[in-house]
Amino acid sequence: MMKILTYICIALFTVTATAQSPYELGMNKAFDLWKDNNIVEAANLFERIATAEKENWIPVYYVSQINVLKSFGEKDPTVLKAQMDKALDFLNQVKTLAGVENPYVKVLEAQYYTAWIASDGMKYGMKYAGKVGTLYNEALALAPENPIVVMGKAEWDAGSAKYFGKSMEPYCKDVQKALDLSVDYTPEGLFYPKFQKERAINFLENNCK
Amino acid sequence: MTFTFRSLPKYSIFVFLCFLISNTVQAQTTIFGTVTEKNGSPILGANVYLEGTYDGATTTTDGSYSFTTNEKGQQTLIVSFMSFETFRVTDNVTAFSNYKVVLKEDVNSLNTVVISAGSFEANDNSKVSVLKPLDVVTTASALGDFVGALQTLPGTTTVAEDGRLFVRGGDANETQIFIDGLRVFSPYTPTTANTPTRGRYSPFLFDGITFSTGGYSAEYGQALSSVLLLNTIDEPDQEKTEISVMSVGAGLGNTQKWENASLSVNASYMNLAPYLALLPDRNEWQKPFETLAGETVYRQKIGKGKLKAYAAFDTTNFNLVLDDINFKEGVDFGLKNNNFYSNLSFQTPLANKWKLETGGSFTYSNNKTDYDTAVIDSDEKSVHVKAKLRKRFNSKFKLSFGAEQFLTDYSERYDAPFETYKMEYDTAITGVFTEADYIFSKKIAAKVGMRGSYSQLFKEFTIAPRISFAYKTGKNSQLSVAYGDFYQQPQSEYLKYTQDLESARAQHFIANYQYTANNRIFRAELFRKSYHHLITFTGEMAAYDSAYGTDGDGYAQGLDVFFRDNETLKSFEYWLSYSYLDSERTYLNYPTAATPNFANTHNISVVGKYFIKDWKSQVGFSFQHGSGRSYTNPNVEGFLNQKTKGYNNLSLNWAYLLSQQQILYFSINNVTNFKNVNGYQYADSPNAMGNFDRSTLRPSADQFFFVGFFWTISDDGTDNQLDKL
Repeated sequence: MMKILTYICIALFTVTATAQSPYELGMNKAFDLWKDNNIVEAANLFERIATAEKENWIPVYYVSQINVLKSFGEKDPTVLKAQMDKALDFLNQVKTLAGVENPYVKVLEAQYYTAWIASDGMKYGMKYAGKVGTLYNEALALAPENPIVVMGKAEWDAGSAKYFGKSMEPYCKDVQKALDLSVDYTPEGLFYPKFQKERAINFLENNCK
Repeated sequence: MTFTFRSLPKYSIFVFLCFLISNTVQAQTTIFGTVTEKNGSPILGANVYLEGTYDGATTTTDGSYSFTTNEKGQQTLIVSFMSFETFRVTDNVTAFSNYKVVLKEDVNSLNTVVISAGSFEANDNSKVSVLKPLDVVTTASALGDFVGALQTLPGTTTVAEDGRLFVRGGDANETQIFIDGLRVFSPYTPTTANTPTRGRYSPFLFDGITFSTGGYSAEYGQALSSVLLLNTIDEPDQEKTEISVMSVGAGLGNTQKWENASLSVNASYMNLAPYLALLPDRNEWQKPFETLAGETVYRQKIGKGKLKAYAAFDTTNFNLVLDDINFKEGVDFGLKNNNFYSNLSFQTPLANKWKLETGGSFTYSNNKTDYDTAVIDSDEKSVHVKAKLRKRFNSKFKLSFGAEQFLTDYSERYDAPFETYKMEYDTAITGVFTEADYIFSKKIAAKVGMRGSYSQLFKEFTIAPRISFAYKTGKNSQLSVAYGDFYQQPQSEYLKYTQDLESARAQHFIANYQYTANNRIFRAELFRKSYHHLITFTGEMAAYDSAYGTDGDGYAQGLDVFFRDNETLKSFEYWLSYSYLDSERTYLNYPTAATPNFANTHNISVVGKYFIKDWKSQVGFSFQHGSGRSYTNPNVEGFLNQKTKGYNNLSLNWAYLLSQQQILYFSINNVTNFKNVNGYQYADSPNAMGNFDRSTLRPSADQFFFVGFFWTISDDGTDNQLDKL
């Protein structure tokens, strides 16, 4: 009986001692929710963390990104506008906190405009396509060895080349390069954007065989 | 017992420690309640949390939430949900038990009512946008001219030989064009009889076009019928070079970007000589149409403000022999036009949600016209300066006010073998305006404005109220009504002879119904416009010996219908416009009230665009029909007593994307070669039979072909595209 109690209490203490900070706990929980496709709750939790952590751009980044990603394929214009407005609001906060000369901020902004283009190419294609291209170029200039940036740019370029029936070869090379770079790549900090390895592998399988 | 003795304290320490831990658990407060809309329906997915903590929850299907917190004392509870205003309340944590929150709808969201009476928008951020930016250049009949694209909208009448915007029974001068809020005094390229004019400015410079056919804001004055507002692009997206080669000329453009500034320069040269050598038209050209144009935009960020400087220069000349039934050999006609327009605007946010918009424009236009043996040299310099302050008090209430000044200095010299004279005048008009926007709820919005204007020339002060109101009748439909008074001084062609006149006045009454759902938009608008103090004169034409007055009047009334559908057919977008117009006026030298020749009864436009992905092509058509226009047949009694046959035009275009950056464009106007008639010219004196002979006024060419190649070179154009060339 004693032994069990001791174990229980020791276990309890150890947990508290090596426990993650509330920030880590919160972020991990949010990523778990996201992974479980519980997007609304994940977005809400990121937003709560972002509101509490006033100086940290990371949770703010995810609030914006989750709203951008949700907007791909959104048909209802009212919902689309509301989500994109929210994404933009948090994107602007990320710009203030992380500065505009941050490759992740550039990539996020490129994703934001890509979501508009995806919603209506006729309407936004001409207006934003150049902007997205420029953002990826700027991101690449800031972090030429960052696999996330290399991958983002390759996917964007491949999208339009595919449309025009051009060879995928240069983009396959780029995606492969991103994959190679990711081996030695360690994120600069806790909860920094991660390289989506499966996405790169899928790309190679679907386009480069 | 020893065992017990020794073990008890240990046991109690553990118990105590464990108790401590569980105690903290017990010290948590549970926060719970519900979140609903005003009408009581639960909100799913709202974010409920304590400010500055991670403690919170997401509401479930029944709008309920529940979470625990270790926070104590005064805390702020926040409830946020998209399309609703964020709710916040500060109280003791214990108070948030079974706490019911009712969220208010955010009136700035997309499903809020908007005042749509009178206006059409071509951009992408507007709720009432009917055209997309690309439509302006891909409408078959428009030939790359933004004015041409707007002529497919209801409210415009088909005056094929002119090309300018004639809106709801008004003449073309009743429509004013503004770039970044500043007036453009000579927006159209000069042209000759029976050849339509075009807008001077490149459609690619603008990312927002608002075309209002009535009831517009108090900010805009000196326009009786309509305003066209063009907004230049705030910031170009990338550095690029644009090359265009067309069947009628060539153009070159370049954009450079720096950290806080950018510069775009465009130049174009057009010469119709090669085209006319291949496909002669009805005119007897001595020197075909030739124009050289350049425009530049410089944009600079200053703090949070934006400065834009825009300048455009163009020079045009041509010479031809005009057909004239009274002169067997025709009449020599030549024109040299130099036009310079510049515009400087600055806008910046100020403290307390105030915003300042200010700027000025300057236009210089010089025309040297040779008509038979006479030479007319006219010079017009115009200035418009404006400052506007706007404050957003909250999401529901906005107020703006401003002041502006228009100055025009006009002089004209007329030289003919036996007479020479010079005419000149200056005008100065001062305007002040204020406008309040109030959104009562998502369903009801109103805009009330007032404009005061003083004309130094006429020593006349006018007050023009403008009111509009919108009511949302259903989830996708709304009703708008608008009333406004509009004043405009007479044109230089009369002012140069006399300044003892007064401003013309128009009153607009508009009722608009709009239904938008699933990428479809339907609009119907009823209007009535009454005109007062229109210019009148005596004699065959306005001349120095005519007697002038401003006692003309008139009306225009009708129905405009618009339907656009981007959804029903895959890859196919189309829109239909229909306008019914009933208008009569007494003005100029009209002996009685009559329907002017620019106001026909029925106008129909159908525009379709089909995207063929496999061909990387967009093919489009546009069909326009305008019912017959009035003309005076002197062989029959009466004035404007007969009507021409209807006008028809079917145009086709094909845009082929060679790559992301290269576009090949073809278009044909009037494919079916319909023989349109613009009107008739009657001889000044009767023939031997006592009848007046006539000649038919036809378009200078029945058909028009256009081939163009547009190439954009930019950083993100990948290597392989360039290698291909």
